[in-house]
Amino acid sequence: MECYSEQTCALAVDGELATDEAQRLRDHLTTCQRCRALVEALRAENRVLSESLNELPEEAASPAGFSPLRWSWGWGDLAILVAVLTLGSIISGWFNELDIPAALEWFNPFSVSGRTNLIFHFFYYFAHGGTAMLADYAAVVGWICLLMLLGGSALLLGRRGRPHYPGLRLLIVLLALSSPSFALERRHGDFITVAANETVDDTLLAAANTVRVDGVVNGDLLTFGRTVEVRGVVRGDLISFAQRTEVRGTVEGHIYTVSHTLDLEGQLGHSIYGVLQSLHIDDRGRVGDGIVAAVGDVSLEGEVKRSVDILTSGSADVSGSIGRDLTMVGRSLTLTNTARVGGNLSARVRQLKEVHIADGATIGGKRDIQLRVRENHFRRPRFYFHQAVWLAGAILVGWLGMLLFPGFFQATTQLVGSGWRSLGLGVGVLAGMPVAMVVIAITLVGLPLSLMLLALYFAAIYLAKIWVGAFLGRILLKPSGATKGDWLLGLLVGLLILTVVGFIPYLGGLVRLGVVCLGLGAFAWQLYEASRPVMTA
Amino acid sequence: MDAKRNMAKEPQPREGGTRQMEGMDLESLTECARGHDGEALGEIYRRYVRRVFGLCRYILESRESAEDATSEVFLKLQRSIESYDRSIPFPRWLLRVAGNQCIDALRRRQRGRRAIVEVEDGAAVIEAPSSEPSPLSAVISKEERAKVRDAIARLPDNYRVPLVLRYYSELSYDEIAQQLNLERNYVAALIFRAKQELRRRLPHRSK
Repeated sequence: MECYSEQTCALAVDGELATDEAQRLRDHLTTCQRCRALVEALRAENRVLSESLNELPEEAASPAGFSPLRWSWGWGDLAILVAVLTLGSIISGWFNELDIPAALEWFNPFSVSGRTNLIFHFFYYFAHGGTAMLADYAAVVGWICLLMLLGGSALLLGRRGRPHYPGLRLLIVLLALSSPSFALERRHGDFITVAANETVDDTLLAAANTVRVDGVVNGDLLTFGRTVEVRGVVRGDLISFAQRTEVRGTVEGHIYTVSHTLDLEGQLGHSIYGVLQSLHIDDRGRVGDGIVAAVGDVSLEGEVKRSVDILTSGSADVSGSIGRDLTMVGRSLTLTNTARVGGNLSARVRQLKEVHIADGATIGGKRDIQLRVRENHFRRPRFYFHQAVWLAGAILVGWLGMLLFPGFFQATTQLVGSGWRSLGLGVGVLAGMPVAMVVIAITLVGLPLSLMLLALYFAAIYLAKIWVGAFLGRILLKPSGATKGDWLLGLLVGLLILTVVGFIPYLGGLVRLGVVCLGLGAFAWQLYEASRPVMTA
Repeated sequence: MDAKRNMAKEPQPREGGTRQMEGMDLESLTECARGHDGEALGEIYRRYVRRVFGLCRYILESRESAEDATSEVFLKLQRSIESYDRSIPFPRWLLRVAGNQCIDALRRRQRGRRAIVEVEDGAAVIEAPSSEPSPLSAVISKEERAKVRDAIARLPDNYRVPLVLRYYSELSYDEIAQQLNLERNYVAALIFRAKQELRRRLPHRSK
């Protein structure tokens, strides 16, 4: 009889041969020495393979970092959260006690001006920015992503001896090569000047103690310095992070600034967007568009062609002219005899006596002066009613979600537990989605898609706290089952905690942001998971 | 270390089922775990983490991804333990879940769904009539076993994954075929080739 092939013998040894064929092979083995030897060898081979594999490598013998806590990370991170909150509360109190020099006040996130600056900067930045700002925003997000990618890749590569990801390496090299291709001239030193007879054709990035431009910059001027003085011409935008920014010459684009003071004595083609302690438009100063700023104190003596939107923690003094509306929220407002507002004047102040409008001041449109009443909302029964309605609404939504998409909701809740991954992803989604939506909306076909994404985005932001709340409740209650009832009870407890924590001054906002990011991240991840085939055992 | 000893003695799913491991215990353990008893889940984790991690480590290319996959497996276990129907021994079921998790992770990394197991030149059944002694067939020392593991780790994914599933997870060809979404014959060919490749890579023992 003909001998069996090695593969057939291997199948037999693995117990994978059909019964009748296996019987025939066994019969054959009784007579064939060669095949018997082969089967024996294959059997021994299998044994060696099993033994070798089952004797786990060293690293598996001590799976460091593995403890049951790893998969219920909640307690550790919760402890960190509590510690941060406590520390934050202590520090914020301590900060408030400190006698911080006025010059640094704008930088203190716990002071009124610092806080309003920080919070409202972003709001105004987006609310009034228009497309140019979005482009900037996209660029910033792009750079952050690029940096994260580079950092992450560096980490990855650092941890591996062998180049496992040739594609990734190539990408890094390409990115590294592509960045210098930006038309950017970089200068740094103690004192940087662009001399009166000098012209910089590119965008100039200058980091110095003092940056002075007497000549011409044809691109944008991006500066980091203590003092930034523009006496010459900047044809693009001026983006400045400085203690003092002074424009005596001409900036043809916009001014974006985070500075202690901004003095404009020259010409500005477009708008000012800024977070500042003090903004001063000299009587020689002229702003081609408008001003959107969160400012400590503001004094407008020159001319602003369009509207001025100001959030101020101090006073706003206007003696120059504003082409359109003046909108301000702040402590006090003064319009002198020479002041002129082409459009409406709307002001929100704490006390009416803080508003001084001289008789000679001209206001083209309506005057709308309102009192900002700040009542402690904890004392109003309505507040608790609202909270209860909010909570009930969230529970209802959670219950509906659980009813309609039980698997999705439970899995997303579970994914909140992947902690940093969800958080990181959430930050990315929160920041990246608006950009993506704008990009999609630019094409006509993409507009409906973009609107749908927008709806999904807001829905996910709302649902984020439900998932995080349910997760929090679950790790706190450690329910014995995973029924809908347990999930909902967990949700109630979690949401109650989140609501209370959300009212902690300063840090509550941070917690809320964190919750949104965590939930969004978990949601995005679950969407991704759900788009793949379900795993079965 | 009690836990470690337990893990070391942990049963071979194929051979002894739960015999060595105080059979009753594992059964009641899984029963409690099915009721989402946190302690039972913790005990299961303690007993099987090493075995699951081993599988993940063999299939995935880095310790980090193996750790991630292991965490995922036990996370999934928490929410899907009800789906364990006792038709097969628990360790084997768990390793199947873990295998799925790893294959998924591998696929995700390679983007293409078919990237994992692509059988080149048609995966025809190879006849390799060879009766020469295999370097794999002898009784070997600890160092040599490490060499075998090393050689396995260097195999391409499409050889390594079925091999590990067969000889570590002790799955049948059918189960492997199901996990990899392949024909059973392909799986057989891949395992056969993997062993041939291993023989080629491992130095022959001098007599």
